[in-house]
Amino acid sequence: MALFRRPAAIIVAAGLVVIVAGTLGLLLTRHSVAAVLPPKPGVGALPAPTGPIVAPPQSSDPVAVASPVSLTIPLIGVKTRLITLGLQSNGTLQVPSTVTVAGWYTGSPRPGAIGSAIIVGHVDNYRGDGIFFRLDTLSRGDKVYVQRADGTTVMFLVTRVQKYLKNEFPTAAVYGPTPDAELRLITCGGTFDSTTGHYLSNIVVYATEAG
Amino acid sequence: MKFPVITRRFTVLLAALALLLGIPAAAAHADSATSGTGWIRLAHLSPNTPAVDVYLYSFGNSDAQIVLHHVAYGTVSPYEAVQAGDYSVAMRAAGASATSAPVLSASVTVKADHAYTVAGMGPESGLRLQVMDDTLTTPAGKSLVRVINASLKDQTVKVTCGGQAIVPKSAFGTVSSYVTIPGGTWTMAAIGGSGTATERFTMAAGTVHTMVALDGANGLELVNLEDAAGAGKPPLGSAATGFGGTAGHGPGSPLPWVALIAAGTLLAMTGGLRLRRSGLRGLRTGH
Repeated sequence: MALFRRPAAIIVAAGLVVIVAGTLGLLLTRHSVAAVLPPKPGVGALPAPTGPIVAPPQSSDPVAVASPVSLTIPLIGVKTRLITLGLQSNGTLQVPSTVTVAGWYTGSPRPGAIGSAIIVGHVDNYRGDGIFFRLDTLSRGDKVYVQRADGTTVMFLVTRVQKYLKNEFPTAAVYGPTPDAELRLITCGGTFDSTTGHYLSNIVVYATEAG
Repeated sequence: MKFPVITRRFTVLLAALALLLGIPAAAAHADSATSGTGWIRLAHLSPNTPAVDVYLYSFGNSDAQIVLHHVAYGTVSPYEAVQAGDYSVAMRAAGASATSAPVLSASVTVKADHAYTVAGMGPESGLRLQVMDDTLTTPAGKSLVRVINASLKDQTVKVTCGGQAIVPKSAFGTVSSYVTIPGGTWTMAAIGGSGTATERFTMAAGTVHTMVALDGANGLELVNLEDAAGAGKPPLGSAATGFGGTAGHGPGSPLPWVALIAAGTLLAMTGGLRLRRSGLRGLRTGH
């Protein structure tokens, strides 16, 4: 094997290995990948949190409510702590840096206070599902619980689930003021644009505090 | 010619029934099955009127959608989300039969995404139901406040915010328009002939309030109603909440692989050339 003692021969061998790898890679990626669909609601459901549920706020004498610490959506198996989120420098909503937690936008009312509390979570990461993977399977009447720092729990009922193209996002409807205690759960959905690395739509779940 | 008589009688009966249930002009407008939801809240702000039962009927439905029992002076309900459309509000004396003739009734058209306050206002002798179209949205960074004078003792009150008069003259039984104030915690005062009520309220940016001057046990009282709250600084546009790991997609671009093959070919060719050259050199120097 005197041939391989020559550096040039090693270069040739390396080149051939690279050609083989490239060809294999090319051949192995010539098929489409099907979307991973979320299982039906109820699969992997969690129990509702125990303990008393506080009553919705009255319009007179608004009281300060404690900040939210965790979110439970029994029907779709969501149980997560809530991190706090602000705005990015371009004015858009910050999103959690991991896909396993959801976050509450601190510029929105606290869940259970009058107004729309905004909670955001990822639908997926590069490899698999995120905390809000099954958010779009929720429907009217489904229960959403938010636990707060003082140990109280507020319960919301889903009123509707909407899908909006991101370039037609109805900011006023989603983030706008309300006269009662509401919740907005936001994640991504619709078509994934692999050239930009973003989904084209947002899923928004509207919920109102039950009382 | 019996038939028309029967019809007429039936119509009269129907109209009487509608009146009884506090549904004014039942047959007049049969439109507006509008989509979407709005909100409505009910209030008793007539100082010398005893407690009432308040009924909310969806237009054309004699079964009350909401009934609030024993609503006393100064009581304001939370907002209830209702389907957009026509409603009537009826007030009966507390404990009166649900089918008895209401003391007072009013109709309200609820538009989608609008909020309304329906309040019994004025003195008992001139009691009326006033429908207010409530504002939900504030200018950026601001708070909105309006004043209802529901004090029979102080027929005119001045309301100040941080010492500045925001509603200089609020007459009994009236509601002012909304006044814009900077968001923050403010000392609000209602100043009447019989005295002054002072309270500190948090009026965060993006919130809308109604201040109600009431006759309390010891003179004027000032109550802060929160009409609406939005995000002080709403985010712009959509949220980037996914990376595509569960999305379906077509075959990835072949370009990186083609480039890799090309690079391999180039490498092999370079090596091959060098091999040939050094081989020749080896031949030449080998001997």
